[in-house]
Amino acid sequence: MTTKPDLSGNRQLGDKAFGGLAIGAAALVLLILALIAITMTNRARPVLGHMGLDFFTSSKWSEHDNIFGALPFIWGTVYTAAIAVVLAVPVSIGVALFITQIAPPWLKRPLVYLIDLLAVVPSVVFGLWGVLMLAPHLNRSFLTAGIILAIMIVPIITSLAREVIETTAQSDKEAAYALGATRWEMINAAVIPHAKGGLVGAVMLGLGRAMGETIAAALVIGSSAQIALNPLKSGDSMPAVIANQWGEASDLQKSALIGLAVTLFAMTIIVNLVASRIVQRSMQKTRGA
Amino acid sequence: MVMPQELARALELRPRRTWRTTKNTIMTGLLGGAVVVVAIPLVLVMISVFAKGGAILFAHFPKFLTADIPPTRVAGPGMGPAIIGTLMITGMATVIAVPLGVMGAIYLHEYGGQSKFAQLVRFMAMVMTGVPSIVMGLFIYIVWTLNFKLQGFGGALALACLMLPIVISASEQMLKLVPNGLREASYALGATKARTILTIVLPAASSGIVSGSLLAVARAAGETAPLLFTIGATRVLNTSLFHGDDTALSARIFENAKEAVASAQERGWGAALALVLLTFTLTVIARVITALATRRK
Amino acid sequence: MKTWIAILASSTALFAVSCKKGEDKGTPKMTEGSDKGAMKPEPSGPVSLSASGSTFQKAFEEIAMDSFMKSHPDIKLTYGGGGSGKGRQDLADMVVDFAGSDSKYKDEDKAKIKGGDVLYFPILLGGITVSYNVQGADNLNLSPDTVAKIFQGDIKKWNDPAIVADNKGAKLPAEAIVVVHRADGSGTTDNFTKYLDTASGGAWKLESGSTVDWPKDTQAGQGNGGVAQIVSSTKGAIGYVDLSDAKAAKLHYANIKNKNGKFVEPTADSASAAGDGIDVKDDLTFSALDAKGDAAYPITYQSWVIVYAKQADPKKGAALKQYLSYLIGDAQKELPGLDFAPLPKSLQDKAVAQLAKIQ
Repeated sequence: MTTKPDLSGNRQLGDKAFGGLAIGAAALVLLILALIAITMTNRARPVLGHMGLDFFTSSKWSEHDNIFGALPFIWGTVYTAAIAVVLAVPVSIGVALFITQIAPPWLKRPLVYLIDLLAVVPSVVFGLWGVLMLAPHLNRSFLTAGIILAIMIVPIITSLAREVIETTAQSDKEAAYALGATRWEMINAAVIPHAKGGLVGAVMLGLGRAMGETIAAALVIGSSAQIALNPLKSGDSMPAVIANQWGEASDLQKSALIGLAVTLFAMTIIVNLVASRIVQRSMQKTRGA
Repeated sequence: MVMPQELARALELRPRRTWRTTKNTIMTGLLGGAVVVVAIPLVLVMISVFAKGGAILFAHFPKFLTADIPPTRVAGPGMGPAIIGTLMITGMATVIAVPLGVMGAIYLHEYGGQSKFAQLVRFMAMVMTGVPSIVMGLFIYIVWTLNFKLQGFGGALALACLMLPIVISASEQMLKLVPNGLREASYALGATKARTILTIVLPAASSGIVSGSLLAVARAAGETAPLLFTIGATRVLNTSLFHGDDTALSARIFENAKEAVASAQERGWGAALALVLLTFTLTVIARVITALATRRK
Repeated sequence: MKTWIAILASSTALFAVSCKKGEDKGTPKMTEGSDKGAMKPEPSGPVSLSASGSTFQKAFEEIAMDSFMKSHPDIKLTYGGGGSGKGRQDLADMVVDFAGSDSKYKDEDKAKIKGGDVLYFPILLGGITVSYNVQGADNLNLSPDTVAKIFQGDIKKWNDPAIVADNKGAKLPAEAIVVVHRADGSGTTDNFTKYLDTASGGAWKLESGSTVDWPKDTQAGQGNGGVAQIVSSTKGAIGYVDLSDAKAAKLHYANIKNKNGKFVEPTADSASAAGDGIDVKDDLTFSALDAKGDAAYPITYQSWVIVYAKQADPKKGAALKQYLSYLIGDAQKELPGLDFAPLPKSLQDKAVAQLAKIQ
């Protein structure tokens, strides 16, 4: 399409307007994040004023007595996420290694699709399955929640692990074979040391995701505010208690629940930041090679 | 030319069986076992969803998708309001998030480059992808629902906030793939930056942007937590996003998962199947678009 | 360029259309000259009423609303559940048009009620079952002090001597008891704990109220349905669930020893028997707990619909009155089928009379 060059000012205006829109859209990200931080800390202030720092250290949560201690829920979040990671990591890395190193080409594509399918299933469907099919056999506990969370974070860890593993230099792998290594020995010698950093990052991203998961945890964790090491005991996690108690919370309780949300926000952000830093650094290292 | 085994062994071309080779076999088996372990829950869940959900969705085919939701105790199909709700709320979220996200990506790649501001935005977009969905829901509750009451639009806003950073990152990746030569040719012909982006760059990146956005939509359609505080709950069809309670498949599944009666649980499975089919379809379309685009190249 | 404009235009159009559609169905406008008396019986134009609260009455509300909407197509009703605490809170904040609640407003909460005076309309009676899930026990007898000790964690195993004492011949396993209670602010909890307070002879130590400080190692469910679900899917569980929900979930429940010393099974009839001797106050509140009489089920309670006496919107007020008179009138015959007990005649008459107080 040939156009006559338009020398009127409209053209410049249109161009500038477009650029302005673009910057505005980008700035929206900053605006939203800032608003989240500001409005939520604001709403959490009443409970912090009421409880002081005890909000984070007290293990008593009672609407009855207006005492709100977040510790049992911080514990529940961390504990179930830890269980999920312990269960998911060996499996995810194993699958990633299998797909990248062992699977013949005709198997690779379907396996990748399998993992993608797992990633697409909404978490509420896993929650439904967990409640109606798993809970009758396992009862509701930290462990049951951990298992469902593990199923949900496997695709994330696997995809990222795959990416990291595939950046292993072909020359390193061939060198190992040339020295007479079996395939497993090659993996041990060339792939794993190289991918170690990235794998740690992938695991932490999975951890972050597990910590923030609401629905599945809310359904199978048992909803009991207790701090226990026994994984078979019932517990509660921050997002689950927010989802469960929000409906009829008093004003102070709502403020306490928002306080939990802010705490969760801060924790997941820190985990995600550390994770992506680690992944970034390991990817950079390999590009250099 | 294939060597007979004995000859190969004589020439020491196949490894002898030692501890090392056994270990290799064991580890290979374990890694394969990992794949099986991953497949098991997926298969179990899919079997439950398709068998139990199919029993109510396919047996009562159009009725399940169109009828109002019956009272909890009453058995029978009906998830129409939830399906329309999911489609409308997710649709509105897409209308908000995709244009804004694409524009944001355009800024990052075409205007901002590696400037401090652009780097900050990129970083914050990555931070935003990690925000738990329940935090987004509470945020929208505070800034929107408290002022405008429970309505479908609040849910759409919350979902849009979840989708925005995903669309930005995916779109930026797609824009990066557009060869610079195209842009330069366009400038050489005298086009403005805006025109170049709109008529040359975006069309070139469109398949990637569309498929990336579809994946974001699929993710949003499955979200529950952001809707819990913002849309309310209703059993009858609500065709407006701005007035009155609304409902969605994900929220309904969550509610029914907490009920003890078979009638409600059946409908929960049916809704789960509907939701899974929806998200799968979106994902498959996204993959097909990507495949077609790469094949064309 | 043109395609982008087209897309922008069509999405704006879509936006506008969905806004407009909503307005047509939105809250009706005030009609002129409608401030005094004379309420027109049949409101014209669509009216929406929303409610939330007690899950005890939820099954009844849903069925009643369903059939009411069939005969009144221009009135839309929704009942959200969420527990009596939520209902009272939502009504106080004027977020809903009426609340379902199994308990009254506490004195200290009365100040937060924004819309003026409230009226209590009783709509049904029913029993709270002590439901359980344990092998070898299909028909347990439990006395109130045993129930109290189980729920506060003093009795930890199913084969505890206190339970065995009332159940000679039952083979109870040495399994741990998993106590299930409500996570939300619940009128069922309120009434159940009030009963334990009065009837357990001092054994109950945890006070009473919509929420209680339950011991650790218990589990919580959302609504009566949620507790029912946890009990039915957890081995060794015990929980308090209203009869209607317990039966719908096919749970086993215990016969409780009443004031006359008899172990009574919770049924619609034994709840009616408990409702016979109630002492009704002027505002139509009362308690049916721990009632006298051989056939009375001791943990019988009630549910009210709470509304504002002064209705701001006359159309909504008229629709509300219509629905309420249906609830306390014709809809009562649905109750036995749902395992509730209908209102005793004297109470029903008082409730109908109170309808006139809604302005």
